[in-house]
Amino acid sequence: MRHYYLLKAMMKKNFLIIWRYPFNLVAGITSIMMIFLIIFYGAKFIDGGNPSFGSTLEGIVMGFMLWTFIIFAFSDLTWDFINEAQQGTLEQLYMSSLGFGWVSISYVLTFLVINLTLTLSMFFLMMAVTGKWLHLDFLSLIPLMLLTVWGVYGFGFAMGGLALVFKQVQAAFQIFQFVWLLFVLAPTVMESLPWVKFLPVSWGVYLIGKVLMGGESLFAMPPMDVFFLVMNSAAYFTVGYISFKYLEGKARDRGLLGHY
Amino acid sequence: MSDVVLAVNHLTKVYHSRRRGETVAVDNISFNVHKNEVVGLLGPNGAGKTTTIKSICTILRPTSGEIWIDDADAIRNPRAALEKVTAVLEGNRNIYWRLNVRDNLEFFAGLQGQPLRSVRSYIDELIEMFNLKEKVKEQARTLSRGMQQKLAVACALVKRTPILLLDEPTLGLDVETSYELRWILKRMAQQGQRTILLSSHDMNVVQDICERVIIINHGKIVVDDKIENLQKLFTASAYRFEIEGHLSSHQEQQLKERFDLLKISVNGQRTVIEAELLDSQRVYEIIDVLKGNGCQLESVGKQYPDLEEIFLRIVKGDKK
Repeated sequence: MRHYYLLKAMMKKNFLIIWRYPFNLVAGITSIMMIFLIIFYGAKFIDGGNPSFGSTLEGIVMGFMLWTFIIFAFSDLTWDFINEAQQGTLEQLYMSSLGFGWVSISYVLTFLVINLTLTLSMFFLMMAVTGKWLHLDFLSLIPLMLLTVWGVYGFGFAMGGLALVFKQVQAAFQIFQFVWLLFVLAPTVMESLPWVKFLPVSWGVYLIGKVLMGGESLFAMPPMDVFFLVMNSAAYFTVGYISFKYLEGKARDRGLLGHY
Repeated sequence: MSDVVLAVNHLTKVYHSRRRGETVAVDNISFNVHKNEVVGLLGPNGAGKTTTIKSICTILRPTSGEIWIDDADAIRNPRAALEKVTAVLEGNRNIYWRLNVRDNLEFFAGLQGQPLRSVRSYIDELIEMFNLKEKVKEQARTLSRGMQQKLAVACALVKRTPILLLDEPTLGLDVETSYELRWILKRMAQQGQRTILLSSHDMNVVQDICERVIIINHGKIVVDDKIENLQKLFTASAYRFEIEGHLSSHQEQQLKERFDLLKISVNGQRTVIEAELLDSQRVYEIIDVLKGNGCQLESVGKQYPDLEEIFLRIVKGDKK
C-alpha cells in the first residue's frame, strides 16, 4: 500500500510541475506537430503513392507517432535525473525508505501515463490534419505500445545513470534521438534482413504496424510473435537497469548524487 | 548504552581521483548518538562533516566502517535505515520550487509512503510551527531564502523519522530567520521530539541547541564531549590579566617565550593578556614576570571562553 501512496505523490507532483510550465508543453507539442507536417507534406509532394510498408503516408503518420512516443520515454528519465540533480532534490528522492528503485518506477509510470495521453492526442491530431485515418484498435494498440516502450526505459535508465556520473550527456542524448529513428524505420527492411527484429523497438513497431495499417488484432497474432516482443523488451530493460545500478553505485562512491 | 540510536564505527571515506590521487575525507571515526540527544558536528571547511552526514543518510558509500541506525545496518540495508533517518543537505535546494508550500510537504510525506489522510493534521502543525501559514499556497520559488530553508526542514520533519540530520541549516540566512529556525530546533530538542545531528559553522546555533559537540579536523575526531564540559575544561586553564599601560615589544616577547599566550589586546590605557595556564602555579609566575617588568597589575581572573573560542583553540591545535 505504501508504494501506492508513493506513486500517487509522484503523479501529483509531476502533473503539477507540468501544469505550471504550460508554455513548455504547448511549445513542445507545436514544434512536434510542425516537424510532422513538414515531413508528411514533403513526402506527399515527392511521392505519395508508394504502397510499401513504412513509406506510405499512413506509415509516416504511424512512424512519427511511435518515434515521438519512444523519444519521450527515452528522454524522460535522463532529463528528470538531470533536473532533480540540478534542483538539489535527487538526494531527497534517494532518501525514500521505499528505495530509489520504486521511486524511479513511480517516475516511469507517471510519465508513461502523461506520454501515452500526449502521444495519442497528437496521433489523433495528426490523423485529423492529414485525413489519413488508421485502424484504431486500442485493446491491441495500447498493450503493444507499452510492451515496445518497456525496453526503451532500459535505455533511459542507462542514460540516466551516465548522467549521474558524467553529468554532461546531452550530446550523446541528441545522437540517440536519430538512432531511435533508425530503429523505428528498421521494420521496413525486416523481410530482407530478418536480424533487425533483435534491435530495440523494431519488432514492436512491426507488430504495431500490423494493427494500425493491417487491421490485425493483438489477440489474433501468433503467441510467439508477442512472446518475442516481451523477451526483447525485457532483455533491453534488464541490461539498461543493471547498467543504471552499476553507474548509480559509482555515483554513490564518488559522492556525485547531489552534484551537477 | 542501550539508548544508542546512531552508532558510527571506524568510518572511513577515501576519494580517488586521477588528478589529485587519494583524498581521505573521513579517517576512521567512531561515535554514538543517544535517543533524543542533539549533537553538533563542527569542523573547518573540508574537515569531513558533510561526508559523515551523507554516509549516515546512505547517499554516500563509505570506504570502510559501519553505521548502525537503531538495529539497521545503513550500509548493507539502507532502506531499513531510511525508515529512521532523514536529512536536509542543501537547505533551500531540497524542495521543489514550482510546488507550493503544502504540495511540497504532501509530496515528501508521500515519498515515504505515508497516506495523505494520516499526515494532514501533522502538515498543518508543521505549517503553524514554521510560521508558513500565510504562504501556504505560494510556490516555493516566490518565498524568501529563509522561508525556503524553513520549508526544507519542515519537509524533512514530515517524514516523521526519529533521527534528523541537518547540514548547515542556517547557512546564508539573515539574523532574524536564523534565530527563528534556531528557536524551533531548540524547542524540538527540549521537547525530546527528535534525535538531531547537525553540522554548522555558526557556533551560536550549536551552542544554543546542542548539548554535545563533536569536532572533526582533517577527517578525524579531535573532541567529542558535552559543551558544558568543554567550557569547564577551557575555563579551568584560561586566565585574564589586566595591566595599566602598554607592553613594550621586548616585554611582549618575553611573555610569549615563557607562557602559552592566547591573546594580547589593548583596551584604552590598559592591556589585556589572555593565557592558558594548565598549572595554577604558573599564575603566580606570570604575575611575578609582569611585576618584574614594572607593570601595574589591575586585575586577575578566569577567562570564560565561548564555543567559538574553544573551537578555534582546538582546531588550531592549541589544546594541550
